[in-house]
Amino acid sequence: MQRDVGSLPLAPALRARLIAAGFQTAQELLETGPCGLSKEIGISKEEALEALQVVRQECHGGAAGTAGGSGATRKCTALELLEEEQAQGFIITFCSALDNILGGGVQLTKITEICGAPGVGKTQLCMQLAVDVQIPECFGGVAGEAVFIDTEGSFMVERVADIAAACVQHCQLIAEAHQEEDHLKALEMFSLESILSHIYYFRCRDYIELLAQVYLLPDFLSEHSKVRLVVVDGIAFPFRHDFEDLSLRTRLLNGLAQQLIIIANDHKSAVVLTNQMTTRIGQSQSTLVPALGESWGHAATVRLIFHWDNSQRAGLWRMILEAQKNEDNPSRNSWQRYTNHRVRRSQPYHITLHLMASEMCSLQLSLRM
Amino acid sequence: MCCSARRCNQEMNWEQFDLNPKVVAALKKADIKSIKEILNLSGADLQRLMKLSSADIQCLLKTVSHALRRNSMLTALQLYQDHLTSQHQKLSLGCSVLDNLLKGGIPLEGITELAGESSAGKTQISLQLCLCVQYPYKYGGLESGAVYICTEDIFPSKRLQQLIEQQRKMRTDVPAEIIQKIKFGNSIFVEHAADLDTFHNCITKRISLLLTRGMVRLVIIDSLAALFRCEFGASDSVTKARYLQTFGAQLHSLSTRFRTPILCINQVTDAVSELEAAQGSCSVADNKAYPALGITWANQLLMRLMVSRVPQPERSPGAASHHSGSVRTLRVVFAPHLPPSFRYYTVKLEGVKGIK
Repeated sequence: MQRDVGSLPLAPALRARLIAAGFQTAQELLETGPCGLSKEIGISKEEALEALQVVRQECHGGAAGTAGGSGATRKCTALELLEEEQAQGFIITFCSALDNILGGGVQLTKITEICGAPGVGKTQLCMQLAVDVQIPECFGGVAGEAVFIDTEGSFMVERVADIAAACVQHCQLIAEAHQEEDHLKALEMFSLESILSHIYYFRCRDYIELLAQVYLLPDFLSEHSKVRLVVVDGIAFPFRHDFEDLSLRTRLLNGLAQQLIIIANDHKSAVVLTNQMTTRIGQSQSTLVPALGESWGHAATVRLIFHWDNSQRAGLWRMILEAQKNEDNPSRNSWQRYTNHRVRRSQPYHITLHLMASEMCSLQLSLRM
Repeated sequence: MCCSARRCNQEMNWEQFDLNPKVVAALKKADIKSIKEILNLSGADLQRLMKLSSADIQCLLKTVSHALRRNSMLTALQLYQDHLTSQHQKLSLGCSVLDNLLKGGIPLEGITELAGESSAGKTQISLQLCLCVQYPYKYGGLESGAVYICTEDIFPSKRLQQLIEQQRKMRTDVPAEIIQKIKFGNSIFVEHAADLDTFHNCITKRISLLLTRGMVRLVIIDSLAALFRCEFGASDSVTKARYLQTFGAQLHSLSTRFRTPILCINQVTDAVSELEAAQGSCSVADNKAYPALGITWANQLLMRLMVSRVPQPERSPGAASHHSGSVRTLRVVFAPHLPPSFRYYTVKLEGVKGIK
């Protein structure tokens, strides 16, 4: 970016004019923009744009992995791909049951879709992942940052702050137990403020804004190279109304899926999407299925479907709440303790997952690799 | 940020964008007028229509996306620390116990549902909110009026009058001079909409007018289910779902544009099938009442609250006997920022009050 104007591969006459006008570095040229440049030097806008394109290519020529289909295809063997995939990190959720089912956690470079009825905990899991992606490497995390694209307005920052505080506390407990120097050092940088400052939040109010945001994501991720998680909560909401032309919707969703897969791969990030459930009316009965249709079902690598498990009745839920209440500090709200430890495997009552919503629910996983 | 919705639909003067003149010429030749048209087309379609290279098209897509989404990023820390426009602000219910359940009150953006069996207290709570919204920000209000849409019953104006007269007794946290200055009756707008078309008209024209003028900052709909009861049989579920999604999206968009809470009152039905039971997250309570309108509506909600009349539990002799009038429960069924919990409350002359 600090390249001298004189060394850029532009036409000599143009170079001379730029230097005469006082431009010294490539950075200055890029900052001025085409309109400003054409005015200052007295060239046409078209020439200014082409010149800037050349400058950009020169400056970013060394950068690896630019998306957008530019040129060189990569050749490698299946073994290399397997090794690469096994070396990929996982975003751990601190719930061993969920992590086990996922094979270690939410996988980087893949799209994971979370489906479920309203209130089951999809947004909660996304918020938790946005915190867990930041866990330092010495604690088993990927030390990344998160992008959170919110289409429903359900991102409540006070809840994220609770989850973040609990995560820091959890890591502090681990550090105290092990007393290792790198743990303590990592904890210095891992605080509520630092976690919140590394969650990049975008609010998209309709599908056009969502499409535009996804077009801009590759550049954003190039600038913020530590991002390891992109959440879109939820993908269904903007696409499920006002679409008379369903083929347009299918085409847009396919395009979106393709772009997200490229982003996941190029930037070594996990992409997590949440989807709604809808009723499919069968011949004899109706079932709940993920929304957005059959073809959307192929977009995600891993699809998690959360159900309410109605065989677990109210009695059991209350029993568990009671037990936790009596455990240590009775004046503390049992919910606080429960959810401050986010997704936890409940022992010894049941193997099924307790999500932050704290209702009993079971996990049904359909893997599509 | 709210004007970007118009920006993507409006006709653009492409010259004002940082675009190569040949791209501008191609846009004009292909008769593409708005950003929405560009983003609706795929890269390949755009290449074909405008006869440009893929690099040019990528550049075009990024430029228009940037124009739409400039400055749209916030970090979570900024959201957390910004107290003026932030999510910390909520609409209080006028009672500290109930506000405590909701961690402040009703969120300002999004649709909140209040469901429950009849005479559980839904109307009482909504009338109370119509008054609470008129208080200054300092006392949990939004310094503005409310619009109440009735779809079946007539508006309970007598009860409203009672509540207005008793405000000083109800809101002991607010100085009397402030309560006196507020003309409660003047800022509550009542609309009637008995069928779907009238309702649609109401939302798209009348309510958005009131919101644009800043005259209201609370919309109450009592109730949405009534509109669907007569007109839709079992076979019309697809049409019904479409209406619900459209209304939901419109309400959602109004709520976000004007930072105005929307409270929808809903009735409950008994679960008819396994499917409905599977959708519901209400299995915790011993009663099997499920909010009407199914999963299509539930998908539109930010927060669901349920009220019910609680059968009086066995109380120890020392318990306060003045609560022996019917005790009700306000329960959080789901919310992104709240655990499922509940509080007891009673309906008194001066309003709805939680029990500690």
